[in-house]
Amino acid sequence: MDKVIEVKNLVKDYGNIHAVKGVSFEVNKGEIFGLIGPNAAGKTTTLRIISTLLQVTSGEIKVFGHSVAKEPDEVRKCISYLPEEAGAYKNLSGKVYLEFMAEFFSEDTNGKTEILKRGIEIANLGERIKDKVSTYSKGMTRKLLLARALMVNPKLAILDEPTSGLDVVNSHQIREMVKSFSKQGTTILLSSHNMLEVEFLCDRISLIDKGVIVESGSPQELKEKYKTNNIEEVFMEVVK
Amino acid sequence: MKNFYNIVKKEIRELMTRQMIFSLVFMILMFGMMGKFIGNIREEAEKSVSMAVFDMDRTPFSQTVVEVLGGERNVIKESSLEKALNKAREKDIKALLVIPEGFEKDVEEMRGAKLEVYSILKGLGIGDLSSSGMLKSAINTINQKIATSFVQEAIPGKNPQDIINPIKIKEFVTVREKTVPGNPEMIQGLVTSQSIMIPVILMMVIMYSGMMVITSMGMEKENKTLETLLTLPVKRSYIVTGKMVGSALVALIMAAVYMIGFRYYMSSFMPSAESTPILKNLGLVMTPLSYLLLGTSLFMAILVALSLSMLLGLFAQDTKSAQTMNMPLVILVMIPFFLLMFKDISTLSLPLKILVYAIPFSHPIIASRALIFQNYFPVIGGMIYMAIFAGVAMFITIRIFNTDKVLTAKFSFKKRRKS
Repeated sequence: MDKVIEVKNLVKDYGNIHAVKGVSFEVNKGEIFGLIGPNAAGKTTTLRIISTLLQVTSGEIKVFGHSVAKEPDEVRKCISYLPEEAGAYKNLSGKVYLEFMAEFFSEDTNGKTEILKRGIEIANLGERIKDKVSTYSKGMTRKLLLARALMVNPKLAILDEPTSGLDVVNSHQIREMVKSFSKQGTTILLSSHNMLEVEFLCDRISLIDKGVIVESGSPQELKEKYKTNNIEEVFMEVVK
Repeated sequence: MKNFYNIVKKEIRELMTRQMIFSLVFMILMFGMMGKFIGNIREEAEKSVSMAVFDMDRTPFSQTVVEVLGGERNVIKESSLEKALNKAREKDIKALLVIPEGFEKDVEEMRGAKLEVYSILKGLGIGDLSSSGMLKSAINTINQKIATSFVQEAIPGKNPQDIINPIKIKEFVTVREKTVPGNPEMIQGLVTSQSIMIPVILMMVIMYSGMMVITSMGMEKENKTLETLLTLPVKRSYIVTGKMVGSALVALIMAAVYMIGFRYYMSSFMPSAESTPILKNLGLVMTPLSYLLLGTSLFMAILVALSLSMLLGLFAQDTKSAQTMNMPLVILVMIPFFLLMFKDISTLSLPLKILVYAIPFSHPIIASRALIFQNYFPVIGGMIYMAIFAGVAMFITIRIFNTDKVLTAKFSFKKRRKS
């Protein structure tokens, strides 16, 4: 099976704080892989390192065979990252924001128009797409940002808490969108502390706690192994 | 390059908000109104001061004084000084000149005749306070006339001016090999424009461009857009330079608007620095080459400001902290601005001289003066220094942008906790 991400013994320290302590996992092509854990478990740090934002203290990461440390420019060509607390440029309209982002991924005007069209469709904001981002609700902004991340048909989408802070309806819409993109061939690495969401979305998961991966497998395998009804109970069993 | 232009375009769109355009329009209107207002005050102050004469002497000689001061139409005819003052107040007159009884007699007997001036103040504005000065110059003219007629009578056949002022000064100014008649005050206009206008332009452009770049970085962090930007398939050097160029273009527009407004405002009360023949004769003129070099020097200073601001912007956490981050830049501009406004670099003490030369923003100011004397060495030296300074600052910024310090760097004045 093609390996999209290979993480080996990843360590990240912020001064005296050890955020990630020797994490290893692999993500295969076309799957939705979830990094699950409570707040401050090291999920976001791991995703930020894979997205070329942070440098490793030690360990090795490869994305599509490119080393994140040595070939960050090559890695950036393959990925699309949605940070947990991301925002959009408030003085731009939603459409202009998507247009600005589309420009980086298109070779010509036709390509740009196509990406933009897809972005507007995914965002599904109707006429409000022409309004300034500063007038959007949190849900609308998150949809716009998810559209930005997925409109370029990335080979790998890295989504940090994609439904963070959203209501039931918006969360559901976003989960459906992520599923449909996975079916179209995009590999997805996501993080969440919402165990039920993960169970619904992910093909495989790794449970992370205090900077260490404590368990890995498909949601079904893990539930069977720990004889529980859901992943939340699996997590409680593992960290007990 | 497509990605670079895309970032420049985005920066301009982000920074040129409606509020900003509104504040620019407001600024133009404000400068225009202030200029017009001050111009009106100046015109009013320059108008012949409304004054009146109360002649208590009523002699042929006092009549001559009345004529010098505008004739019969300015005379107040009342029975007492108090009534004359009341009348002057009623007529909104600013100064009353009283010729006391016995004035002619005192003049003829050379006993030091006295004229009394009553300035009637209704406020403390420029126009109100200039009345007494205008009257004094009129009285000087009267004194000159009286003295001249006395001398003519006493020593006929001689030029009275040669007796009143027996020594006359003939002044020359020497600049390098050229010597021409005139005095240093005659080149005051040029010096004023070089020592005030150039530093003011520089200060405005640097402060605006610096503020724009730092604010732009603060906005990226505040709006949580920087992380996304840094994961895009675009070189970090393009992000740095794109942000710098975009912010600089907006800053230049702002600075240009402010400068036009400031120039209009200044011209409303400052005489223009007309080039007098003395400057041409001394060779103290800006040639096209001088202007080209001065422009390049200013451009280099802007480059330094932008690269330094980008470096400072890395430490800004939001737009609020971005305003504080601008402070070191403002200080670096202010030091040479004030030092060189009052003194020439050659007259400074050695430590101050080193300080001024070390600050890159001093060099366009030094250049503006050196170029008048066609002294190109300090100008070119300054430009090389600024180019190196900007290059090093840019290099450090791009290096930091290529690491995770761009996201984690911040100033902290708190004591570090012991581990």
